[in-house]
Amino acid sequence: MVAGLGEFTLRTGDGFGKPVLDESNGEELMHVQPSVAVVLGNRPVESPGTLYITSRKLIWLSDVDMAKGYAVDFLSISLHAVSRDPEAYSSPCIYTQIEVVEDEDDESDTESTEVLDLSKIREMRLVPSDSSQLDTLFDVFCEGAELNPEPVEDEEEEGESGHNWVFNADQMDVIGGVEEDAEWSISQSPTSVIGHSNGDEGLAQPMLELQINDQRFEDAEEMVHDSETKNH
Amino acid sequence: MLFFSYFKDLVGQEVTVELKNDLAIRGTLHSVDQYLNIKLENTRVVDQDKYPHMLSVRNCFIRGSVVRYVQLPPDGVDVDLLHDAARREARGG
Repeated sequence: MVAGLGEFTLRTGDGFGKPVLDESNGEELMHVQPSVAVVLGNRPVESPGTLYITSRKLIWLSDVDMAKGYAVDFLSISLHAVSRDPEAYSSPCIYTQIEVVEDEDDESDTESTEVLDLSKIREMRLVPSDSSQLDTLFDVFCEGAELNPEPVEDEEEEGESGHNWVFNADQMDVIGGVEEDAEWSISQSPTSVIGHSNGDEGLAQPMLELQINDQRFEDAEEMVHDSETKNH
Repeated sequence: MLFFSYFKDLVGQEVTVELKNDLAIRGTLHSVDQYLNIKLENTRVVDQDKYPHMLSVRNCFIRGSVVRYVQLPPDGVDVDLLHDAARREARGG
């Protein structure tokens, strides 16, 4: 699902114009910023191009090389920020972090190989020649991120509570409670009370204590958790 | 919506946001939206050696889906209130 950075070469007007958008699926152009240089990872700055911000993604198209362009979905942009400290980077810019598909030995690959694997680029800087536009760009990026929330993957569970991820602790409580109840009914049914079935009074006593413990801890999630692990 | 409104109450306070890529950013909570996207101001990166590029950043927007933890100021949390609210909402009340 998460695609990271990729190549983008679809231009209108015989390959010299604006990027081709997925308009039939509602993709719209939100902002165009001319004269923006791009820096991928620790690589050198690339010749200026034009930044197109759509309702789905960022598209950067080179002004020099018509076959060159990059795009990244807002879904893959983990973080963006305005970077102004000249000590950290020579020019004021928009700094982005890109979520990539984790790969065990990709660190060495990106450092050493000549062929650039765009999908492993984790950082991208966009350097507009007009640095007064940085705050505007930052806001447009925010807007784009808000237009692209995570797609809901598990419709069924989501429909149940609307936000099932919030209350894991309480859900544990409920599950724990159900399990306890099952144990209760077993221990309370005459046939399963070990102490009585074999006539040994001494064995019935620990069983009774266990029940008391369960009852006492019924409402405290952590303790239920604790006693559950002990029981199993 | 509980955590959304809860975080909104924390606007203006100092928090540390830990991302799923292990980056931890400390800063003043500027705003939060319904997707728990977070805007921080006066940011500083906790582990600066690991993320030198973040040094230059003073404010940032963090996508809610990449946040692992948000560390809150101890006095910014009314534990009892949060506990009650969580229970109420869990029981659909």
